[in-house]
Amino acid sequence: MKRFSQLALPYIAWAVMMLILPMGLIALYSFTEQGNTIISFTITLEHYARFFTDPDFLIVLWRSFLIAAKTTVVCLLLGYPVAYFISRSSEKTQNLLVLAITIPMWINMLVRTYAWIGLLSEGGLIQRLLGLFGLGGGELLYTEGAVMLGMVYNFLPFMVLQINTSLCKMDHSLLEASADLGANPRQTFLRVTLPMSLPGVINGITLVFLPAVSSFFIPKLLGGGQYFLIGNLIENQFITVGEWNFGSAISMIMAVIMMLLMMAVRRIEVRNSGGKGGA
Amino acid sequence: MKHAKDQLPFPVFGRRDARENGSPKRERERAQEGQESTVRRNGRRTAGTALMAGMLVFFYLPIVYMVIFSFNDGKSLTNFTGFSLRWYKHMLESHTMMESLYTTFSVALIATAVSTVVGTIAAIGLSKSKKIVQDVMEQVNNLPMMNPEIVTAIGFMLLFITFRVEKGYVTMLLAHIAFCIPYVMLSVMPKIRSLDPNLADAAMDLGATPYRALTKVIVPQIMPGIVSGALIAFTMSIDDFIISYFVTGGGVKNLSITVYTMSKRVNPSINAISTLVVVIITLVLVLINVAPVVMAKRQKKAEISRRRLAGPACALACVLVAVAVFAQFGGGGASRPYEGQTLHIYNWGEYTGEHILNDFEEKTGATVVMENFESNEQMYIKVANGEAYDILVPSDYMIQRLIQEGYLQKLDQSKLTCLDKLTDAVRGLPYDPDNEYSIPYFWGTVGIVYDTTKVDREDLEREGFDIFRDQKYRGDIYLYDSERDSFMMALKALGYSMNTDNMQELEEAYAWLVDCVQTMEPEIVTDEIIDNMAQGRKALGLIYSGDACYVISENEDMGYYLPESGTNIWSDAMVIPANAKNPELAHEFINFASDYEGAYDNSSFVGYTSANEEVMDALYGAGGDYEGIDAYVPRSDNPKDEVFDYNEDTRKVIANLWSKVKIVASNAE
Repeated sequence: MKRFSQLALPYIAWAVMMLILPMGLIALYSFTEQGNTIISFTITLEHYARFFTDPDFLIVLWRSFLIAAKTTVVCLLLGYPVAYFISRSSEKTQNLLVLAITIPMWINMLVRTYAWIGLLSEGGLIQRLLGLFGLGGGELLYTEGAVMLGMVYNFLPFMVLQINTSLCKMDHSLLEASADLGANPRQTFLRVTLPMSLPGVINGITLVFLPAVSSFFIPKLLGGGQYFLIGNLIENQFITVGEWNFGSAISMIMAVIMMLLMMAVRRIEVRNSGGKGGA
Repeated sequence: MKHAKDQLPFPVFGRRDARENGSPKRERERAQEGQESTVRRNGRRTAGTALMAGMLVFFYLPIVYMVIFSFNDGKSLTNFTGFSLRWYKHMLESHTMMESLYTTFSVALIATAVSTVVGTIAAIGLSKSKKIVQDVMEQVNNLPMMNPEIVTAIGFMLLFITFRVEKGYVTMLLAHIAFCIPYVMLSVMPKIRSLDPNLADAAMDLGATPYRALTKVIVPQIMPGIVSGALIAFTMSIDDFIISYFVTGGGVKNLSITVYTMSKRVNPSINAISTLVVVIITLVLVLINVAPVVMAKRQKKAEISRRRLAGPACALACVLVAVAVFAQFGGGGASRPYEGQTLHIYNWGEYTGEHILNDFEEKTGATVVMENFESNEQMYIKVANGEAYDILVPSDYMIQRLIQEGYLQKLDQSKLTCLDKLTDAVRGLPYDPDNEYSIPYFWGTVGIVYDTTKVDREDLEREGFDIFRDQKYRGDIYLYDSERDSFMMALKALGYSMNTDNMQELEEAYAWLVDCVQTMEPEIVTDEIIDNMAQGRKALGLIYSGDACYVISENEDMGYYLPESGTNIWSDAMVIPANAKNPELAHEFINFASDYEGAYDNSSFVGYTSANEEVMDALYGAGGDYEGIDAYVPRSDNPKDEVFDYNEDTRKVIANLWSKVKIVASNAE
């Protein structure tokens, strides 16, 4: 079957060009001085030094991780019960509910985020509703809360669908066995259902945390011009300031941190599923 | 990444498998549940239903809200004032919007088709390759999936720029194909692995050629994987913003980019186009999910793979029809001098009149593609990286820089008919003394827009720009996100020249701004200030005179103040870059936009002061749109007012310091 293996060659060439080379270029830019050409360049560590010696940049990085972590927790707390509910309903309802959660995901993310501007702005629906309960007055748009809301809104479906998939894959005779052996529903849930759904939970966390930490249009649209997350910092370096080498260094830092985090998460997962990996 | 299949963002197909082998067991399980007390079960059921309902409201509220407001008669996003289809009309007339819709769908379709074919072939090939090759390629494919999207995007951008590939439709398509293929392979791979490895051999032993073995034996077996891979690719492509944003150029935009660049100002046609997308997507999804059911009922024994194809095929057909319909909007007309040619303009956002572009197209037969920038610096980066435009509209100091660095071409004076129409104040300014390179477009000042019901005129007169540090107005101010104007404000407040190159003075200005953002809770905005001040949302803001005109004409309570300490007198002018592809047509446009009609349309619609003297008089004079609004006529009698001078060293310092100010502001919250 050697013959077929040659089919992969064009793609390997393409992947080197389109997937590996770009990463190499970012690394190259991040270690070279501003204004160098690709042919002649000077190696430097100044961009990394600049990032790590300035507390303001580090605060932005920290805040990005913090808000992504908060978003992930909220998504998990909201998403798990919903996914559980879906997995326990009848087959027909399940289909409908999964479809209902999928449709918004197909509608452009920018469009969905933009829609919140009208809802949150002064005199908008949300403020009026809060006003009815005597909670009105405060500004909603251009706050950290608005940014988090935007993130939860955009990424929650990932969490729900991942958990739901793993709940549905579960062998239901395990539940019967658990009940037969005298466990009450709560024990069954804690001892059987929850551990079995862990791969879904971990995938969900990854799928929420990764885009949340690097997102830049949600903070820009809902957080306003003065709300900077690490993604905005990178965008700003490339689009407005024009210091690509520094921007590349920030990108590298973020990519490496995320890679380490992912590896850590994978390790937890492998340990929990008895070394067998996920699905 | 062994569990990667779970990460697929497209849930419907994965779900189907789970359901198929889960349901009989669930029946039994339900019988078990019956032993629980009915009351408790009902209670839990109700709680679950309530939660689910709440979730659906959460997911759909913004979408429904948007659909409703796309029919709003007024411009507001918060008050529904009556039913109207005007925003749909606006949308259909807007080139940018219709073309972005076309780009979105055509890129998604082509990228899906290519990546499905390439991805499937590559996956088959890889499955027969050595283990080590397989493992390495798996890691490589993970790059775009496991990296933050913005990192992938920047990688593509650097790639295209390094190899001097002109950014535009092709680069966007290439990038989309590149990030779609790994998803296709991810969903095809498991199906190939579960195949009997001897299948192809058997086919060939029986006399099939390798090609036939592939197409007749292997591909049909892995069809479900291919189809779901294609759907994932389509989803990823159609929803993409970040990668497209960094790799596009030449005015090519997809829907996401259009929404992103238009979202600065209230523009209900965004709602209209979004509604259109909602309708298309819902139809496609319903078809995908309903068609198989209908088909199955009709011919119960239909093959599974064929049934799964039916939905997507219908959907694809629908999208194709829709795209074909939209493509019509690109159509031409009778023979005119520039028929079939294209003019690429790179201009500020919200800087052209309502009709001028359409009129110009009508007259010349050319197509105008306009791209918008938010700052001179943003424009410069694109131009310096070799993007080709026919016309730019930068500000004074930036024109000086572009001339110095050789990015502009001299205008052909014999083709210009507009020089004598210019008002004296903008003719032959220091950055281009003989108007060899530039024809002014708009001009004005930078000042303070204030709500006369909230701000004491006395405070303004006493404090000038220092009012932005007056605790009385804490939390009630807008700053403008422009390094130049912000430093101008600080330097003027401190009594220095805004063209200073003294580091000491610049440091002081930086400290002034840091103090302002740390103590005053300002919002740093760009064009959002226009609608927000027109609605009286804050007391004070730093603003361009032209935007102030618009604000005052919308809201009588607003005023415009120029501090005695001096301000920036600026002008923006049309120039032709050295690498313009159609300078001929560019000259034509410069004349068109400087003529009375074009200039009047521009100035009356956006509120900036026209460089055409006659237009200026008409709009400011009796019966004009801006009659009696002082902001419309720039001040000419204060010796402290200055024009920006370009200096590379201070530019860098200011750019970095302003970036720091914004970060400090963000951290101060």
